[in-house]
Amino acid sequence: MAATKTIDVTDESFPSEVLESDIPVLVDYWAAWCGPCRMAAPVLEKIAEEYDGRLKVCRVNVDENREVASQYRIMSIPTILLFKNGELVDQITGVTPNFERDLKRKIDPHLD
Amino acid sequence: MPDSHYDVIIVGAGPAGLGAALYAARDRFKTLVLEKMIPGGQIYNTDRIENYPGIVRIDGPTLIEQMQTQVESFGAEIRTGSEVTRLEPLTDGHIAVCCDKDRHIGRAVILAPGSYFRKLGVPSEDEFRNAGAGVSYCGTCDAPFFRDKDVVAIGGGNTAIEETLHLAKYVKKVLLVHRRGEYRADRILVEELLAKAHEPGSNLVIKYHTVVTAIQGEGRVQSVKLKDVKTGREEDYPCEGVFIFVGMVPNTDFLRGIVDLTDMGFISCDSGYLRTRIPGVFAAGDCRLGAAMQLATAIADGVTAAMMIRVYFRDPSWWQKPVSDACQPLGW
Repeated sequence: MAATKTIDVTDESFPSEVLESDIPVLVDYWAAWCGPCRMAAPVLEKIAEEYDGRLKVCRVNVDENREVASQYRIMSIPTILLFKNGELVDQITGVTPNFERDLKRKIDPHLD
Repeated sequence: MPDSHYDVIIVGAGPAGLGAALYAARDRFKTLVLEKMIPGGQIYNTDRIENYPGIVRIDGPTLIEQMQTQVESFGAEIRTGSEVTRLEPLTDGHIAVCCDKDRHIGRAVILAPGSYFRKLGVPSEDEFRNAGAGVSYCGTCDAPFFRDKDVVAIGGGNTAIEETLHLAKYVKKVLLVHRRGEYRADRILVEELLAKAHEPGSNLVIKYHTVVTAIQGEGRVQSVKLKDVKTGREEDYPCEGVFIFVGMVPNTDFLRGIVDLTDMGFISCDSGYLRTRIPGVFAAGDCRLGAAMQLATAIADGVTAAMMIRVYFRDPSWWQKPVSDACQPLGW
């Protein structure tokens, strides 16, 4: 598989990687047992490549990182949260029928 | 980017699209499958398939992986992350299939875009869903988040029953709400459901002839409004999660104005050969009028469409002819 542009974050690295980031961050909460999460993965990878340098795309495995999952009250996966300057500014729950377009619609207004 | 040319372009890499691709590729047609995400479609989310003849039990991802390998081994090209946005019949009878950044020209097209879960359509459903605050359409995905909580499941089909049984393994209590007194689901699943519900002290409870008319709560789901459709009596039922399994809607918005769609959005086609209004464009799987929406029937559709392509290529005027025995395999 090609080198990935998405970054795996953990309970420990979440503050530095996400909250203290200089550019907006998309965070994908996922788990191995979740089919739609696997479907979302290549779309997020594509977003990471297209927006390289302007947006960071991170992934949180909710099985291994329960703290940042419960902190943001994740009850459905995949949930994709969008952070800017350490603040949660938007989100998408689940894989929508026009997932890529819907993600971009959420992301674009928050890019400088 | 210059147009790329194919004999057959298939829109969607679920069971219907992969079934079509297998047959088209084995017929040595230059075949392209365009998939907006990864191969799989709805069956990818099923971890328990027991009704596909010849395979005792398999999960969706494993089956799809094998189908994909098989299809690619015969030379079909599968492009993931390629969402089709438009279809354009050209004057020479070929069809342009447009994605965001590129365009492909096919001599024939098989539409297999699949379906997406239907919403219940009650107040606050979207708000709670968008906020990830307790409305879910995937029990397999989200059951672990509702460990030791009370949830409501809605529906009466195979998915509703399978997912309710899955939820019961995690939650404190699951109430299955069904608007009718009988199930659309396979009898064998109904038996399993009823056996579970009848266990002493079972955490699975069923309410028949009941609908959910509202989802309520401050910032997250705290209750639903239940209505008994026979008596009209309403009650609030406290719960933290609502799991909705009330059927599917076809992914056909991008085809509006191109092929004929029914009021519900299904693609109109003849049920024998799966031909749409546009010569060379077939419909297969969950997206078409009359679809049984099963794994086996979706694959069968894909195969039928792929076989009919040969008939169409031999004689394009066949498109306008009624279903007849002239193009049965015996007929040629």
